[in-house]
Amino acid sequence: MSEAVKPQRLALMHLFWWFMFAQGGVIAALLIPVHVLVQGILGPLGIVPVVDRHYDTWVSVLGNPLVKLYLLVLIAFPFFHFAHRLRYLLVDFGVPAAKSVPAQVVFYGGAVVVTLVTVYILLTTVPI
Amino acid sequence: MTTEATAEATTEAPAAPREYSWRMPANWWTRNRHYFLYTVREFTALPLALWLLWLLVEIRRAGDGPARYAPHSSTAFVVFSVVVLAFALYHSYTFLTLAGTILHFKVLDRPVPARLIVLSQFAAWAAASVVVAFVLIWFAHE
Amino acid sequence: MPDKTITVRATRFDPERDREPRMQSYEVPFTDESMVVLDALNHVKSHIDGSLSYRWSCRMGICGSCGMMVNGTPKLTCNAFLRDYWPRPVVVQPLNNFPIIRDLVIDMDDFMHKLKSIKPWIIRKQELPLGAGEHRQSNEQIDDFRQFSECINCMLCYAACPVYGLNNEFLGPAATALARRYNLDSRDQGLKERLPVLGEAEGIWECSFVGECSVVCPKGVDPAKAIQQTKLDTTMRFVLPYGNRE
Repeated sequence: MSEAVKPQRLALMHLFWWFMFAQGGVIAALLIPVHVLVQGILGPLGIVPVVDRHYDTWVSVLGNPLVKLYLLVLIAFPFFHFAHRLRYLLVDFGVPAAKSVPAQVVFYGGAVVVTLVTVYILLTTVPI
Repeated sequence: MTTEATAEATTEAPAAPREYSWRMPANWWTRNRHYFLYTVREFTALPLALWLLWLLVEIRRAGDGPARYAPHSSTAFVVFSVVVLAFALYHSYTFLTLAGTILHFKVLDRPVPARLIVLSQFAAWAAASVVVAFVLIWFAHE
Repeated sequence: MPDKTITVRATRFDPERDREPRMQSYEVPFTDESMVVLDALNHVKSHIDGSLSYRWSCRMGICGSCGMMVNGTPKLTCNAFLRDYWPRPVVVQPLNNFPIIRDLVIDMDDFMHKLKSIKPWIIRKQELPLGAGEHRQSNEQIDDFRQFSECINCMLCYAACPVYGLNNEFLGPAATALARRYNLDSRDQGLKERLPVLGEAEGIWECSFVGECSVVCPKGVDPAKAIQQTKLDTTMRFVLPYGNRE
């Protein structure tokens, strides 16, 4: 049996992506349900008034820099969580290719793209 | 002497090929309730991602101007949101519960019990939800 | 003739003859409510079929040798009571996720290498001379790691782990739990030697926290917790200022 094996060292990229996964998971857990409930169900059903139901209120809220920062955190962070989970789910479903570096580029790169698009949309829609 | 030669050959060669190697069945995650619930937990990522992309579109549409802005209110969208909400609640419940087994710190040299950590996580969830709901509803009045 | 019997279906695999494992049924007298699955296997070997191969030693849940799949769940067969299965048949198979050597015997070499790789012993930068006295430890310091030190290396957690089943390069539950047991020990100074093994690509990061390892552990060890806490602590060494100091 081979005693000495591959060189072992701390995988810093894995560490970083796990950290982003954990952060995004917390944000998603704390914030997403209330947004889905209020903006996705109560608002459209007309049970309560909601900011995005009217152009004026929606625009005035979106113009606030604090709101922009909050929306960036709300949307961008969870995508690093989603990317990580879906990549590992593919591995679980018997797609070992999801572990490869190209797959990591696709999944985590996807989260980076969503982040950049979110920044762009927040800055160009109702500029501060 | 042939037997001796064979005996030597077998001691040289590793016995590995004689073993029956393990192959993971593709449907392993359906074979145990815990495995299935784990898979559901991981799958929550997909509906949540779709809903956030919808929110991004809703933000973008605010740039279209007052005349063309109309919020989503189709039944299909509400049904979609109800399904997403179920997954979102499951994600929150599992994530915040499991965080209690991960987070560990000491106060006054004594480890904080996991139950207390989980409880504070759920309290933070409730507080965040109330604040966000308040903002979303309160600022709807012009 | 005993009136009560139980059907035991066991995996048979003869590497000289069989291309793949098959199941064989035995009728075993169920004479005593305290009988366990291991007793049934011993009855088969002594009275019905002496060729049945399986590992066991202490028969009292401490040696960790007799782990097998019992009706699809990894269990110590000395701790799986027949009364919980009767009158239905009890199906005994070798531990999942490992190569089968013969019948119910699996090849544990891979686990042994992993166990060794995390150096499960107390590492000191400099050994103190005996005259310097013992390394003292408070009850609170023992409480930090006591749970993880209960591991008996029975490999049930590896059999329960789908991540290991899909990729046997993964370091796995018990090895990480034992690494944590030593990393948390106030007498130990070997964290920096274990970290490269724990934190490499096929180490802790592979775990997706299914959590079944902790469910099946017969000793109440929580390897899933050990792995996630190691992830968190390792990450914090880089995130917190001065976290990486020693």
